[in-house]
Amino acid sequence: MTKSPKQLVIRFALLAMAFAGQAAQRGWAQSNGERPSALPADYSCSICHQREGELWSEVTPVAEENDLADDIHWLKGLRCHDCHGGSPSLAEFKNHRDDPSFRTLTSPADIPAFCGHCHSSIDTMRKYNPSARTDQEAEYWTSGHGRRLKASVEEDNGQPDTAVATCIDCHGSHGILAVNNVNSPVFPIHVAETCAHCHADETLMAGRSYHDRPLGNEQYQQWRESVHARALLENGNQSAPTCNDCHGNHGAMPPGVNSVANACGTCHGKIASLFAEATMKHQFENVGLPGCATCHGSHLITQPSDNMLGMESAAVCVNCHNPDNPKYGATLAGAESARTMRARLEQLKQEINDAETTVQEAERLGMEVHGPRFDLRQAFDALTNARTQVHTFKPGPLDAALDNGLKVTADVKRRAEDVLWQHTYRRLWLAASLVPILLVVGLLLLYIRTLPTSASTGYEE
Amino acid sequence: MSCRVKPEGSLAVNRRNRLWLFLHERLGLDALEGLASKKRVPIHRCTPFYYLGGMALFLFLIQIATGILLSVYYKPSPDQAFESVRAIETEIQFGWLIRSAHSWSANLLVGVLLLHLLTTYMARSYRQPREVTWLTGVALMGLFMAFGFSGYLLPWNELAFFATRVGTAIVGRIPGFGSQLLLLARGGENVTGDTLARFYALHVVVFPLSTVVLLGAHLFLVQKHGMSVPDREADRLGGAGKLPSMPFVPHFLLRDMVGWYVALGLLAALAALFPWELGEKADPFGSAPEGIKPEWYFLFMFQTLKLLPAHVGPFEGEVVGVLAFGFSGLVVLLVPFLDRGPRTRRALNVLATLAVGFFIIMTAWGWFPAADHSALRIILISLLTLIVLTLLLPFTDRRTAIRQSLCGVLALCALVLLAAVGWELMK
Repeated sequence: MTKSPKQLVIRFALLAMAFAGQAAQRGWAQSNGERPSALPADYSCSICHQREGELWSEVTPVAEENDLADDIHWLKGLRCHDCHGGSPSLAEFKNHRDDPSFRTLTSPADIPAFCGHCHSSIDTMRKYNPSARTDQEAEYWTSGHGRRLKASVEEDNGQPDTAVATCIDCHGSHGILAVNNVNSPVFPIHVAETCAHCHADETLMAGRSYHDRPLGNEQYQQWRESVHARALLENGNQSAPTCNDCHGNHGAMPPGVNSVANACGTCHGKIASLFAEATMKHQFENVGLPGCATCHGSHLITQPSDNMLGMESAAVCVNCHNPDNPKYGATLAGAESARTMRARLEQLKQEINDAETTVQEAERLGMEVHGPRFDLRQAFDALTNARTQVHTFKPGPLDAALDNGLKVTADVKRRAEDVLWQHTYRRLWLAASLVPILLVVGLLLLYIRTLPTSASTGYEE
Repeated sequence: MSCRVKPEGSLAVNRRNRLWLFLHERLGLDALEGLASKKRVPIHRCTPFYYLGGMALFLFLIQIATGILLSVYYKPSPDQAFESVRAIETEIQFGWLIRSAHSWSANLLVGVLLLHLLTTYMARSYRQPREVTWLTGVALMGLFMAFGFSGYLLPWNELAFFATRVGTAIVGRIPGFGSQLLLLARGGENVTGDTLARFYALHVVVFPLSTVVLLGAHLFLVQKHGMSVPDREADRLGGAGKLPSMPFVPHFLLRDMVGWYVALGLLAALAALFPWELGEKADPFGSAPEGIKPEWYFLFMFQTLKLLPAHVGPFEGEVVGVLAFGFSGLVVLLVPFLDRGPRTRRALNVLATLAVGFFIIMTAWGWFPAADHSALRIILISLLTLIVLTLLLPFTDRRTAIRQSLCGVLALCALVLLAAVGWELMK
């Protein structure tokens, strides 16, 4: 059906007015600091759970739209009824108690299943985040938190331990930020602080234990002083480990004595693989020592240094291989190995230092030593490799790594000394070349003196 | 047409070997010989200044010889330039000597040329009919500075890269066609491999060919018009016609050779004792290192542009600076035509004194920019002032008030120099 020009003009005018009206409304709302409401006017939850709702009272839990504005669920288009169930339409609303589709939350023990309603459903999660995991709820029940919660419900006449962390204690309830949001409590730089809400609380941790050992509340403070916390919080290295990197996320649990090396090995892979093949690992397991943590500590892990190796007072080997008071069956041969390894490490460090000094001297004299300086890096690499090989607890592999470094330092030193000799050689060459030059200058001057003077000849420009 | 040697018109044939005779017959060397035997050099107080031109020529020949040797191993690409220069320094036999000699002789050459320009101005050797000789000389000065600018980038090290970036950016400030000139100089918007390629082409092809042409013209004109004698000297010795003189060959040539040998010795000492540094390889994506500066003969411009405020009146500071330097260069070029009489000469002398003073102070300031380097700055300023003032001595008569004043200022400069050196040593 064709339309007349008049009809088209009227239709266009109506459309323009409608658009202008919408824009004006949106603009007014934004200019008043309000977001446009995402909920329809007859949204049933608003009636009771918003302060301006018709049926709101002081005892009704409040969930304002503004609080939800940055919530990842809200941003994905989910509304109250998508999590809590029930009918969103006022016309179809039933009292919560009478509505079987309403998901009731009566205790913390209900929360994992409440969140798991979607987060454990592959079909649901696929709609919003196809790569998201759906085993968090299952993992939670295997965690220290989940086990304690389950046990409390089972053992204490159905009374859950309300102090135990559930999903909302870490992620929040309304206003849950995406995990990659820098303000999220589970963003790497905030994780330790989030865990510390409970685990640094002396009252909350009092009387709690794990494997018959008190949980304590000093972990956060210790971690803050560790090399890992410095890397994460001061250097901004977000791959540096915080609580969940060693203990797990939803299945949070301290690693077992025999699993510590695996937790550390997540990042320190090379060292973990060397340690896995070392006899010392089995010795540690046999006497119940927690692998890496035996020497490096658990939460308060400081920057390792060569001083940790050997039989000096600052070394950790001496803790067990003490000749006067050996522990855990530690042997004197082990003490000797530690001493030898330390001495060899010091030898390479000394050689690197000597080579570096020679290169610096050549540089100071303005000589070109880019090549030797570049190659010296290989010696530093060898030193790092040797320090890694310490975790085999055998001098053999360490020696192989050190020998590579010593070859490099010898070569660099020889080349730097050659350059220094070049410098001396150039001066000798200069002296030798200046002699004939000065000789020629002298002879020329003598010859010039013998030339007949030709003054007063007259000069015409 | 063959040219037979006439026994009575040239040196005795029995004194020459057969090769000489062979060349003589075919190349007409007797004409050159005749020219050389006739050419004479006037003897007066300013005669030593004549050696500066010969010394510049000698240093230019060293530049050509060492430049050819370097070009055998140098690779003009951003990936290989730095490495090839490093290989020249470390792996090629005597490569370090060739590179250092090339770099040092380039700097000595510019220094000698500046002195040559200054003494030529002082002696007013640009007077009629030598205006074109002056023009070719100033053009050669500019050309050698361009040689230095283009050669500075070739090692592709950090300092040179960022100095070139700053230097070419200044070109871009020229009003009107600056942006086009910048694109032309860089071969793009940034200093890249294209810039290196065209700087290399300029350095080894365009500039050398231009120099040969200009230098040829300059030498021809010097030969045609002969050595200029300062008016004062001609008057003092009773007129140009009564000036004592010496034959160019062998008297002047041998004296020139003494200067060349001294320059050679100095060059060897500088190359051996102060090898030219290579620095770090340029990283175009890195940030500019501290203390970037151009070659010393561009420092006065660099420092001035650094000190200029963002705006001078309604104009941008840098634009004003660039225009001022361009105008100054034009004034230097047109000196023979601006010197129209005693009044304009006095004005030119005042301007020249101010320009030399400005050059010395700004160069010293640019060389030692740190606030705590004031003693070093004073050392350099007094040293350069001593050199320039010494050049004035031959232009003054003994036992005159002006000579005594000059000696007084020289003594004062020497005193300041010694005091500043002492202060620096005691720190």
